[in-house]
Amino acid sequence: MTQSNETLLDLYRLMVVTREVDLAVSEIDGHWHGCDGEEAVVAAAYMGLRDGDTVAPHYRGSLVAAYARGADLARLFAGIMGKATSYNRGRYRSDICGPPEFGVIGLYSGALGPPLSYATGAALAAKLDGTDAVAMAVFGDGSSSRGDCHEAMNFAASLKLPVVFLCQNNQVAISTPSRDRVAGTVADRALGYGMPGVQVDGNDAVAMVDAVAEARARARRGEGPSLIEGLTYRARGHFVSDAADPRPRDEVEAWRARNPIRLFRDRLAGDGVADTAHLDAIDAEVRDQVAAAMAQAQTDPEPGADVLGADDVYA
Amino acid sequence: MARQTFQEATVAAIAHEMRRDRNVFIMGEDIGAFGGPLHSCKGLWDEFGAQGRVIDTPISEGGFVGAGVGAALAGKRPIVDLMFLEFMGLVIHQFGLDGGAMHYYSDGKAKVPLVVRAKYGVGPFHGHAYDFHSWLLNVPGVKVVAPATPSDAKGLMAASIRDDNPVLFMEHMGLYHAGREEVPEGEYVIPLGKADVKRRGRDVTIVASALMTKRALAAADILAQDGIEAEVVDLRTLAPLDEETVLESVARTGRLVVACEAVKSGGSASEVAALVVEKGFAHLKAPIARVAPPNVPVPFHRELEKLYLPDAGRIAEAARAAAAA
Ligand SMILES: Cc1ncc(C[n+]2csc(CCOP(=O)(O)OP(=O)(O)O)c2C)c(N)n1
Repeated sequence: MTQSNETLLDLYRLMVVTREVDLAVSEIDGHWHGCDGEEAVVAAAYMGLRDGDTVAPHYRGSLVAAYARGADLARLFAGIMGKATSYNRGRYRSDICGPPEFGVIGLYSGALGPPLSYATGAALAAKLDGTDAVAMAVFGDGSSSRGDCHEAMNFAASLKLPVVFLCQNNQVAISTPSRDRVAGTVADRALGYGMPGVQVDGNDAVAMVDAVAEARARARRGEGPSLIEGLTYRARGHFVSDAADPRPRDEVEAWRARNPIRLFRDRLAGDGVADTAHLDAIDAEVRDQVAAAMAQAQTDPEPGADVLGADDVYA
Repeated sequence: MARQTFQEATVAAIAHEMRRDRNVFIMGEDIGAFGGPLHSCKGLWDEFGAQGRVIDTPISEGGFVGAGVGAALAGKRPIVDLMFLEFMGLVIHQFGLDGGAMHYYSDGKAKVPLVVRAKYGVGPFHGHAYDFHSWLLNVPGVKVVAPATPSDAKGLMAASIRDDNPVLFMEHMGLYHAGREEVPEGEYVIPLGKADVKRRGRDVTIVASALMTKRALAAADILAQDGIEAEVVDLRTLAPLDEETVLESVARTGRLVVACEAVKSGGSASEVAALVVEKGFAHLKAPIARVAPPNVPVPFHRELEKLYLPDAGRIAEAARAAAAA
């Protein structure tokens, strides 16, 4: 599939947003689970969706998913601090749970897995309504071991639901390497469920966006789900202040050298899609946007006692 | 005696039991060389890893809690580190509905000596706070343990491992690394199902567990300044409930406040209140007060979290009202 230059530059921009969000939030939240090194998978997963589509993002990248669906960055940042201006007024955290009004299904408890079924349910609704909407069900390599993941895949494949399953395989779950506790490859599981499955170089932005486009097109045509495994690498600790990263230094360094933003930049410049001045301008514009949003969020008000809303649990 | 935190004392008990009984082993996510989130298994890998008794699992809660039940049926004494209590929602079937029923339904032929440990609680770790223990009070056959101090954690963990039933062992993150105390070394077992009167007083009984015990003791200090002597009963084990100690205390004070971290509706505080109404009504001189969070999910912003969780002031206020009634 060939993507337009416009799409490629949108993709580049979203990758830069992912990086700048990471840098900005890392400064205020030691518990932030960053996306350094995984920007190509994250941006490709959430770019270019239409109104009516649904995403159940992997928690790592959740905030970018909400932004890509149209949520306001300052309000998302406010949600990291629980400010009154956040989409839920401070009741819940925006780093793992995006606003549903943008078609985002977050983690409503801290449990990985269940959102994959919620995405499948959104796809079921689209099928029942006869629309061509799709659902993105995104998960980590570690989360691929959850029963919910297997159940969602079998359910979606047997009912031919328009779901794109995307594994953001950063090759580790907290301290556990995927090679130790994920049997076989995630992509190969697709065979067992009778759907297409591909493993893609997750640091190659173009390969990622191509794979996602193909899977979405298939889903929109009513041909059922697909599984994409984006093989990438978590370039930092599990969260910002995670001092205990046991992975071999040389392995970490080798992957850092394959930084997906840098690789994509070189390719865009090399292919003549944009010159470096243009790319630098995108970088600067994103940096300013992120800085302004963070400055705004930091001065936003804290929630008042009324937000606790003891009588608000029922719809 | 050794000066230990709650976390250290808990791990010391596990290590002691693993030395004592080769059938004891532990499994969970990231508990091997990494030592477990928040150091929940620190040191166990070094001592027992090579024996294959410290097992890193995939992120497959239903699978490994189920495997724990199966290994227990087969004669092992597994400890499963569930990481966080909110994941009980993913395994309540294996642990509670099946695990808790097996002994009774097999007419005593099967037993499930399984400990599930889980961190929870509003505290320094901003997340995974949910206190869902009350659900399990409605599941026959399981025990629920919620220590308040390092020593109790040690003695109760040892007893939990030796118990022949599925036991949920709750580890409050607000207590986990919050200071050391003298903890008995070596063999130290506190029987399950026995409450502990952590402070004597004649005016009002405050029943609590885990972090709420700590706050109830702080409330008792506040009350003492007003000349009100509160008795603090630390349940330690929420199921089975030590009815005798609670009733005996209320028989002396005539007044009861129950502090609980689980939301009020359907929470374990109601169970304590119901017990006293049913069996100690004649002693009551004032209405029973339950001090517990409102019926909402744990809110995120720190100030909302403070409003949500009962503190010493609110417990003292309820006790003062009871004492004045
Ligand atoms: C059901 C469940 N089990 C365990 C956890 C604790 N936990 C949080 S993040 C994480 C690692 C997840 O690994 P992976 O899916 O590979 O995502 P990554 O962090 O690598 O992006 C774990 C085990 C959880 N949140 N939910």
